[in-house]
Amino acid sequence: MHAPAPAAVEELAPAVRLNPVIAGREVDSRDRAELTGVDGQVVAEIGLAPRLLAQAAVHELRAHAGAGAPGAEVFAAAGELFATASLDGESPQEYQRRVALATGSPRGTVERATAGIRSALARIEELNAAELPAPFAEGAFARHWVPRGRVLAVIVPNNHPEPNVTWVRALSLGYSVLLRPGSKDPFTPRRLTAALLKAGLPAHRLAFLPGGHDLGDHLLDQADLGIVYGGPDAAARYGNRRDILVRGPGRSKALVDADSAAALPASLTSWIADDGGVRCNNISAVLTSGDVSALADALAERLAAPAPLPVTSAHALLPATTRANAEALGPYLAGLAAQGTDHSSARYPQGPLTALDDTSVVMRPLVISVDDPHHPLVGTELPFPFVVVAPWDETHGTAPLRNSLVVSLTGRHTHLAEQLLHEPSVRKVTTGDVRPWLSRPELPHDGSLAGFLLEPKALIRPA
Amino acid sequence: MTELLPHAPLVPLDTDADAHLRRTLRWHFGAATGSPFWLRIAPTLDFDPVRDIQGLSDLHRFPDVSDQLRTVAVEDLIPAGHTGAPFEVFESGGTLGAPKRVVDSVSRGLNVDWVSTVLDAHGFPATGNWLHVGPTGPHVVGRTIRHLAQRRGGVAFTVDFDPRWVKRLLGSGRTDLAGEYRAYLLDQVELIVQSQDIKVLFITPPVLEALVGRRDLYERLAAGLEGIVWAGTSISAESLRQIEETFFPRARIAAIYGNTLMGIAPQRPRLDGDMHPAVFRPFFPQSVVELVDGHGAPVAYGERGQVRVHLLSRDMFLPNVLERDTAIRVRPAPGDSVDGLADIAPLPSQGGARVIEGVY
Repeated sequence: MHAPAPAAVEELAPAVRLNPVIAGREVDSRDRAELTGVDGQVVAEIGLAPRLLAQAAVHELRAHAGAGAPGAEVFAAAGELFATASLDGESPQEYQRRVALATGSPRGTVERATAGIRSALARIEELNAAELPAPFAEGAFARHWVPRGRVLAVIVPNNHPEPNVTWVRALSLGYSVLLRPGSKDPFTPRRLTAALLKAGLPAHRLAFLPGGHDLGDHLLDQADLGIVYGGPDAAARYGNRRDILVRGPGRSKALVDADSAAALPASLTSWIADDGGVRCNNISAVLTSGDVSALADALAERLAAPAPLPVTSAHALLPATTRANAEALGPYLAGLAAQGTDHSSARYPQGPLTALDDTSVVMRPLVISVDDPHHPLVGTELPFPFVVVAPWDETHGTAPLRNSLVVSLTGRHTHLAEQLLHEPSVRKVTTGDVRPWLSRPELPHDGSLAGFLLEPKALIRPA
Repeated sequence: MTELLPHAPLVPLDTDADAHLRRTLRWHFGAATGSPFWLRIAPTLDFDPVRDIQGLSDLHRFPDVSDQLRTVAVEDLIPAGHTGAPFEVFESGGTLGAPKRVVDSVSRGLNVDWVSTVLDAHGFPATGNWLHVGPTGPHVVGRTIRHLAQRRGGVAFTVDFDPRWVKRLLGSGRTDLAGEYRAYLLDQVELIVQSQDIKVLFITPPVLEALVGRRDLYERLAAGLEGIVWAGTSISAESLRQIEETFFPRARIAAIYGNTLMGIAPQRPRLDGDMHPAVFRPFFPQSVVELVDGHGAPVAYGERGQVRVHLLSRDMFLPNVLERDTAIRVRPAPGDSVDGLADIAPLPSQGGARVIEGVY
């Protein structure tokens, strides 16, 4: 059965062409690939940058690198343009529609991310300053935080537009940036590139280079430093290189007691499923000292409520994928579910993967319970609302909570907060009824970007 | 340029291919002239190679015996009637297990001499030293480049490049070590380029990519280079444009497609209206190349097919060898009757969509 299609309210825009941009110059590449949306239609034709074109970009950027950072006003202006202007003929609404179609993220997620990027770019100095010690200058003696390289390669992810703020911050700290966009969302970094150039970023500071994994490897080899967003593969591959900062899997977890499980079902549901579950800080495992099965059932019931809608709909809450991907995903999810107890699938007449009339396949939330907090499914992260519920008691301690971008503690388990903060593989801790991604500009998301990109040096002048 | 072959570059040897084929078969299956290898096989065939094979279209009656080249004693491959220049033995890449061996005395030299005239047509420098950054050892391409350099009045500098080692490293996922090996090759290239005058470079695209990544080496080499011959792997259209227009605008660029069994098909000069940046033209009729579909039938012009080669040389006869390459079939250039090959690519391996864990 197919879900009803929404009334057609938008005109179909033709597929756009995205080319490499090197130092402000668009290169009409002869190497091309089509980017297909979740509805099977071509969203964009991508001009690819083979290694040799990337190498030309490396030479050009390096020749002009190291000339100091542009002013904060450039970034603030770029954020405004990004969120509000028509850039290369693309309105903000068209941009959001393209990202939703190409990545399968619900449109609302992209709209909120647009606002988030604008807000981050407006306060970029604040974000940088928060990660550095207070300035020191006393008479003849001064400590300067300066870039420890000149050219940075960044492998940008697809899952959510906001990680793109990372490379914009690197520009604001004085780096020249070689950018390899994600294969499904080249739109966000391309639009940011256009906004930054229009706002006055010196053109030779930036290269936008669409391409595959081997291009990423090449850029990481050629640059002084690199930042990689990726899953377990990327973490294993680059994790022990000191010149590369890996932003790896989120694997965010919540630990709840019976009382908070009963009191916070709405909150837990939102932690798991907001933004379609595509954030790295969406909760993908809930450990509980209460009744596992009851909690899993309660979550499954609430999570099953949102109707499957096309991702371009203003009301869409769930992500989607292509029919071809869904054909591979179906047996894979069935295999995962077979490792525990599936609390969700029976709630969906067509199973957790629901095909729409436009051929896209909505990925509906999946709750699986297991009987051991060390079960291999705990820590499995998928790009839709997917959560594993497992038992926990005091004897397990913090071990099952390791390797988490965020750990959310509720009820009587909040006393573990300080202990978890000292666990190196846990990046952030929240307590109480607080969304895992709640933050302030002063607080780190995952360690210190400035601490990776900059280093302190002494300058001593005769008094 | 060459007295042996005073032909126009695009029309080597005599073009009566069927007559050439019949001569070749009479030689290889003659009791006094043929090789022990073929004389052993002949009685097992359900036809008489000399009587029943009259034209190229009959070649499909032969079985593909190339697997036997992995183990046969090489002296059995040498035609008994041969006198003159000694034979050498060469080996295929050995991607899949044991390599196949071929023997050659002078036949491949004819092919190389013709390639030299094609390089003239491309505007390559008539004289000057070559630098061969490619396989030597058991691989025929090393001798080919040395032969070309000598023929064109220069010497060929070489580095030891072992493609089997690289394939083993890549096949087992040791990309770091493969990168180290590439860097080691470039260290040696650097030592040559620092003191020697290099006019023409033979190189594979991946090593060329790494070379331009070394800015000093690249600039020094590019300053004097007048020709680049690339081969060995496919290259994208944009990569080729970057080589031609961004990195080596002063040099002539030409590719060769070749393999151990077939010989060399050089890129022909571009023509107005070419759909492909590099169209390769075999040394017909010594090398006959067909592009075939899954049933062995020729594909139409503009279509991609698997490469099937027949080697019809005096030194070796080898019909019906299906290579692991594919190419697009291109109409013969004006004045020529031999099909071109474009966009060479490996035979695709089978594989479906893969589920990747994670939100990225």
